[in-house]
Amino acid sequence: MECYSEQTCALAVDGELAPDEAQRLRDHLVTCRRCRDLVDALRTENRVLSESLQELPEETASPAGFSHLRRSRVWGDLAVLVAVLALGSIGLIWFNELSIPAALEWFNPFSASGRTNLLFSLFDHFPTGGTAMLTDYAAVVGFLSLLLRLGGALLLGRGRLRQPGMRLLIVLLALSLPSFALERRHSDFVTVAANETVDDTLMAAGNTVRIEGVVNGDLLAFGRTVEVRGTVKGDLVSLAKRTVVSGTVEGRIYTFSESLDLDGLLGHNLYGFAQNLRVNDRGRVGEGILAAAGDVTIEGEVKRSVDLLTSGNADVSGSIGRDLTMSGVSLTLTNTARVGGNVKAHLRQLREAHIADGATITGKRDIQVKVRQSQFTRPRFYFHQAVWFAAALLVGWLALVLFPGFFRATSQAVGSGWLSLGLGVAVLAGVPMVMVVAAITLIGIPISLMLFAVYLAAIYLAKVWVGAFLGRMLLKPSGATKGDWMLGLLVGLLILTIVGFIPYLGGLVRLGVVCVGLGAFCGQLYRSSRPVITA
Amino acid sequence: MNAKRNMAKEPRSREGETRQMEGLGLENVIERAQGHDADALGEIYSRYVRRVFGLCRYMLNSRESAEDATSEVFLKLQRSIESYDGSIPFPRWLLRVAGNQCIDALRRRQRGLKVFVEVEDGAAAIEVASSEPSPLGAVISTQERAQVRDTIARLPENYRVPLVLRYYGELSYDEIAQEMDLERNYVAALIFRAKQELRRRLAPRRK
Repeated sequence: MECYSEQTCALAVDGELAPDEAQRLRDHLVTCRRCRDLVDALRTENRVLSESLQELPEETASPAGFSHLRRSRVWGDLAVLVAVLALGSIGLIWFNELSIPAALEWFNPFSASGRTNLLFSLFDHFPTGGTAMLTDYAAVVGFLSLLLRLGGALLLGRGRLRQPGMRLLIVLLALSLPSFALERRHSDFVTVAANETVDDTLMAAGNTVRIEGVVNGDLLAFGRTVEVRGTVKGDLVSLAKRTVVSGTVEGRIYTFSESLDLDGLLGHNLYGFAQNLRVNDRGRVGEGILAAAGDVTIEGEVKRSVDLLTSGNADVSGSIGRDLTMSGVSLTLTNTARVGGNVKAHLRQLREAHIADGATITGKRDIQVKVRQSQFTRPRFYFHQAVWFAAALLVGWLALVLFPGFFRATSQAVGSGWLSLGLGVAVLAGVPMVMVVAAITLIGIPISLMLFAVYLAAIYLAKVWVGAFLGRMLLKPSGATKGDWMLGLLVGLLILTIVGFIPYLGGLVRLGVVCVGLGAFCGQLYRSSRPVITA
Repeated sequence: MNAKRNMAKEPRSREGETRQMEGLGLENVIERAQGHDADALGEIYSRYVRRVFGLCRYMLNSRESAEDATSEVFLKLQRSIESYDGSIPFPRWLLRVAGNQCIDALRRRQRGLKVFVEVEDGAAAIEVASSEPSPLGAVISTQERAQVRDTIARLPENYRVPLVLRYYGELSYDEIAQEMDLERNYVAALIFRAKQELRRRLAPRRK
C-alpha cells in the first residue's frame, strides 16, 4: 500500500481527518514503519508547539499591567543602578586621574579635601555666585552620568529607556549639558503665540507660562501658572502652582503642581504629584496615570491603568481602560464609570467605598481596609527593631574601628549641646533647600543626588554619635578602649530606642537626636577638614 | 443619603461573595455571570485573563494591542456571555471570542486590506519538504522553547494566527476557518506551511 502524505498525517495528528480515512491510516501505520515514524514526529512537534506556547514571547507578560510591570521595573531599575554605580566608580576613578583645574580641585568630591569640603563649600558657593564653575562641573558629571545611564540601559535592554524615571532622568541630564539644543525663556509672562513654533526643547520660567503654538521638543515649565493650549510634541515637565493642559501633549506629563487639570489630549502617561488632579470630561490619556495626590477626579478617558496614592478622595465617572488601584480615604465610582480591569482599593473604612450599581467593572473588585493594629502586639515589630538596632551597632562599631579619632571627637562634640543642635537644625533644613535649588537650575542635578545620599547617611549616623555620648555620660567608664565605647554605644542606643517609642515625647526626642547628632557630625567634619596649623 | 448608605454596604457583601466565588465550580460561576452577577464576571476575569491575554499577545504581536484586546474581550463578555450555551468547553469558547477580537483588530490595522491571503492547497510543493524529519521533535530545553516562541512570534500573520489558534487556543480547523473567514482546506494548508516555515527558520539554529 502506498504511503500517506505528510499533510494527511498532520491532519490525522491534529484530529482533523474524516473518521473513515483516519481508520485507514491507523491500519496502514501498523505495517508501515516510515509512516509510523512520521506520525510520531508530528505528534512530538505538536506537543512541543503547545508546550512552547504556554509562555509568552520576550517576557512573561501580564495583562494586569502596571502593578506587575512596576515590580519588575523596580528590580530592573535597581539592576541598572548597580551596573551604573559599578561603571560609575570606574569612570570616576578615571575622572579623578584627569588633571582637574586647580579652581575645581576643592570641588572634586573624590579628593581628600574635596570630600570633606563638599557639603560646606556648597553653602558658600551658591551665594558667592559660583554657578559658572558649577555649570562646568555639572556638564562633566552630567555627561558621564548620561553616558553611564545610557550604557547601563543598553546593557540591560533597550526597553528600559522607555521607563518613566529613566526617561525623565535622561531628559534632565541631557538638559544639564550646556551644549544641548535648548531654548530658554524667562520673563514674567512667557508665551508661545498661536502662530509660533519652537523647534527645540523649551525651558520656560515665569509667573505665567502659556503655550498656544507648537513646541516640537519637550517643554520644561516653571511658574505660578503653566497652560498648554497648543501642542507640545515631546514631554511636559511642569513645576507650578497650577498646570492646565487644554491642548495636546504628545509625550508624557511629569508634574509637580498644586493642581493639574487635563482638559485636552495626552499621548502617553501622566506622572504627577499634585494636591488636586483632574482629568476633565474632555481629557484623554493615551496610556496610564501614576500619581500621588490629595484628591483625584477622573471624568474623561484613561486608556490604561490608573494607580493612585491619595490622601483624600478618588472620584471616577469616566472610563479607565485597565486596572484602577488606589490607596486613600474614599473611592467613588459613579454610574457612568467604566473600569476595564480590576478595581483595587485600600481605604481606611469600608463605608468610604461608593460604587454605584451602574458602574461597569470588568475585573474583580477588591476593597481592603487598612487596619491599624498596635505595632507593639506584632512580633515582626520586635524583629525589625532588633535588626535596626544591630545594624546601628554595627555601623557604630565600623566607624569606631575605621575612624577612631573622628568617632570619639564627634561623640564628644554632642556634648556641646546647643551649638550642635543649632548647627544640626540649620543643616537639616538647609540641605534640602540647597538640593532643590540645585535641581531647579538643572545644572546641579548630579550634585543634588549626591548630596541627598550624603544627607540621608548623615541623618542615619546621628543616633550613633548621640548614643555613644549618652552611654559614656551614664556609664562614666574610667578607660577609653574600644570596648568601653562600644558598651556606651550599646547602652545609649538602647535608651534612645526605648525613649523613641514614648508617644509624642518619643518623636520629639528622635528629632532632637537627629539634629544634635547631625550638628556634631557636620561640625566635626568641618573641623577635621581644616588644615592643622602648626606654630 | 439613603442611596449612599446602600452603596456603602455593597463592598462588605461583595468581599464575602468574592471569597465564596473562588470555591465555586465553573458552571455555577458562568450561570451567575449570565445573570449579570458582577462578582461572577470578576471571577471569570481572574481565572482566564492570562490565557486570553496570551492568545492576544501571540496573535497581535504587541503587548499594548494585546492588553487593549484583552480588555475589550472581557468588556464584551458582560453582554455576550448570555449566548454561551455550554455546547463547547467554556475556555475554548472564550478563546474563540478572543480570537475574533484579535482578527478584527488585525483587520483594522490593515485598514480593510485582506489580512489572510489564501494559499493554494499545493500538495506537490509540500511533498518536497516532507522527507525532512521534524526539527522540532528534539526541542526539550527551556531555552529551545523560548527560541520556538520567538520564532512563532516573528512568523507572518498569515501563518502565525492559525498556528496560535490551533496550538495555543486549541481550536479546531473548522473553528479557525470560521474565525479567519477562510475555507477549511486553506486553514489546513496554512497550518501545514506555518510548521514548515517554523522548521526552516529553526533548523539553522539547531545545528
